[in-house]
Amino acid sequence: MKYVIRASVLAFAGYVAGIWLTVAVRGGSPTDEVAVVIGYILALTGWLAGIGGIEAFGRQWIGKSSEVSTDRGWRRYFEFSVDHKVIGIQYGVTLIGVLLIGGISAMIMRIELAAPGSGFVDLDDFNKIVSMHGILMVAVAVAGIIGAFGNYIIPIQIGAQDMAFPRLNAIGYWLIPPVAVALLLSPLLGAFNAGWTSYAPLSVTNESGQILFNMAIVTFGMSSILGGINVITTVITMRAPGMTWGRLPIFTWAGLATSVLSFAVTQFFAAAVILVTMDRVAGTSFFQPEVGSALLYEHIFWFYSHPAVYIMVLPGFGVILEIVTTFARKPLFAYKAVVASIFTIVGLSVVVWAHHMFTSGMANFLHGPFMILTEAISIPTGVIFLGILGTLWQGRLWFRTPLVIAFGWLFNFTIGGITGIFLADVATDIHLHDTYFVVAHFHYTIVGGSIFALLAASFYWFPKITGRMYNETAGKIFGIWVTVAFNFTFIPLFWAGMNGMNRRIGDYPDAFAGANKFASVSALILGASFLLYIGNLVYSAIWGPKVGPNPWNARTLEWLIPSPPPQHNFTSQPVVIGHPYAYGVKGSVHAHFPDAESPDDPGDGRGSDEEGVLV
Amino acid sequence: MRKSWIPVVILWLAYSVLIIWATAQFTWFPKEWAEEAAVVDEAMLLLQYLSAPVMGLVLAVMTWSVIGWRTEGGAHREDGPPQRTNRVVVTSWLVITSALAIYVVINPGFIGLAEIRGEPSSDYVIELQAQQFFWEVTYPNGATALDELVIPSEARVRYDILSIDVLHSFWIPAFRIKIDAIPGITTTAFATAEADGTFEDDVNLRVQCAELCGAGHANMAMPIRVVSDAEWNEYIETLADNE
Repeated sequence: MKYVIRASVLAFAGYVAGIWLTVAVRGGSPTDEVAVVIGYILALTGWLAGIGGIEAFGRQWIGKSSEVSTDRGWRRYFEFSVDHKVIGIQYGVTLIGVLLIGGISAMIMRIELAAPGSGFVDLDDFNKIVSMHGILMVAVAVAGIIGAFGNYIIPIQIGAQDMAFPRLNAIGYWLIPPVAVALLLSPLLGAFNAGWTSYAPLSVTNESGQILFNMAIVTFGMSSILGGINVITTVITMRAPGMTWGRLPIFTWAGLATSVLSFAVTQFFAAAVILVTMDRVAGTSFFQPEVGSALLYEHIFWFYSHPAVYIMVLPGFGVILEIVTTFARKPLFAYKAVVASIFTIVGLSVVVWAHHMFTSGMANFLHGPFMILTEAISIPTGVIFLGILGTLWQGRLWFRTPLVIAFGWLFNFTIGGITGIFLADVATDIHLHDTYFVVAHFHYTIVGGSIFALLAASFYWFPKITGRMYNETAGKIFGIWVTVAFNFTFIPLFWAGMNGMNRRIGDYPDAFAGANKFASVSALILGASFLLYIGNLVYSAIWGPKVGPNPWNARTLEWLIPSPPPQHNFTSQPVVIGHPYAYGVKGSVHAHFPDAESPDDPGDGRGSDEEGVLV
Repeated sequence: MRKSWIPVVILWLAYSVLIIWATAQFTWFPKEWAEEAAVVDEAMLLLQYLSAPVMGLVLAVMTWSVIGWRTEGGAHREDGPPQRTNRVVVTSWLVITSALAIYVVINPGFIGLAEIRGEPSSDYVIELQAQQFFWEVTYPNGATALDELVIPSEARVRYDILSIDVLHSFWIPAFRIKIDAIPGITTTAFATAEADGTFEDDVNLRVQCAELCGAGHANMAMPIRVVSDAEWNEYIETLADNE
């Protein structure tokens, strides 16, 4: 804890110093936005120095050797640990915390919307809560799976001892708490009411909380980019002997594709909010209509934010494919086509952004091409669905909690995908754009596609990470509860949107009262399900029954080592000799440990490149 | 086990028929008050029908997974058949989904686009200027109004949309038209109102701001009254005389 305390003190000192310095140089008030910007930059510097940056990097700059945390107890979770497993857990716990805060904001919104009129919160506060909910949940969806399980699982799945850049990895995580603090403290400066999309010119003229939002986005973006570089390098350079591209587990493929995207496009969101910040504090006029363009922001913003939905959902595909193949006891159907589809989506995702702008007034001739490209994404997505359905086909399905939630995912994401077609078609989108139909659609894709996968992953890898088993009955009840309550919450909102209810409003015409009341009650039931989720995982992590290395009898490398894994993952070098998903192929083994001395080493057998049969 | 395609196909057909039947039972859309609304609603209904077999297939496999393919007995039981892939299935899947995507791009995609954005001619031009948090209407004769938008029926009207502060969006749910109001740019939308009516008849006869524009966004709406061409001309003349 001492590092966290030191970091907090240095961050506070940095903030005060930045404010003081700015006021001393240019005068003005300590709440002026330029002072806040300087203060934030110094606070962030102080935070990183305090948390362990001095020991990890600073000492080297004066010729001494670097030191990083080597604690093995609970303290390591509050220190600058470079162990990818510690960092994975740090991400997971932090982002589940953010998910709960975002969930509480959703409950406040649904209580306000339970009946027409404005009473529980006023209209402007409602917009601020909408904005806060949006950005917190986007952060969870962007970094949840890849931050927690990408960090924890990917190095083990490829047979590496750690990530390629362990210290960079730690920096990436420790950038996240300042993001949360900046966003949650923004109400002190009036909060931000322009939505998580923060369209200019509104975001240039609203209250100063917007500055903290902008700083948080830049910080979060740095974290994403550093994480992206790290995963790309790790997967390319640190695979165990025999881990050819054709034998790479599907979750690792998905994590690699995600990282390529977050590495390539995150800077566009940062650029957009930096331009907004410059308009606010430096007197530039990027988004002022007379000399700049009010439409420009949308283009830059969506150039990141559409690919971002694939940054959210691709790791979800990876998790669900991993779970389906394990619990169906069958090879991953059409593995190569699925991998090709994942990368086709990566390519297409950067050329479809303007489908968010069909009603924006952009040039008419742009509508056709963006409609074609957007609809084209349904083809590779369909192949990934074929992979899931084909794997289920004639499988020996073992319905444990991860598979139950994966079925919820399958149902939700199918609805999310189908309703996406309505929004990709210009004719229908003109009516549906910015209505509750869109709200329902993106909750089906992002909650249905990313958060449900995060939940499924947290059960699937729980025994590996904790060495203990969660409570199966409570897990299944949660899986069914969360799926049903989720659908009851959002199905009525499709109707509301089609019938004339626009989004981001704290008040609405009486005609939509019924649908909203139903959605609000369902939302509260949905929120309550998370008490069972948290209770189950926390209780089981401490008192759950101990499990062996491989409770699911799965084949990928993380299941061939003890639960929880030893400090450097592998006590002897793994050698990959076969396909990861050759379930049902006699004598087939994914990997073994030729140097291992232990006679009961789990992975020992014939190698075979056979990955199943053509049917 | 080898014959599992039979129950899955039956389930698929059953689900698809059920979804199509359910789709046909309900009125999904609010009342259409303009010609353009019919185009949008037809497109949406077509997409709803096309999604039935897609949803049905996923539901069929999910259902039969629970009924027919579930096994008990823990992790160390036998594995499933090692089906790696099937070229015919993958190829035909690709062909069918691509064909479906191409079809949807053409109809309702491009056909709808042409019908909605294709014809630039109009009988009248009404200008609406957005600002936080109200609309100002300017009629062809220069008369202005803030409290309501009065529209002639059976006439094609071009709406010129402006904004003087932040982004807004001009949306008439009853007409299914929407276009953003952007400071510095004039955007346009077209609609032909079909019948006389007022906001009191249908809550969707309103100009609603559909782009988050600040504190008063939720209530940035203006009632619409659709009247006959003669009544409308009389109304704007009176309005001009009063100014």
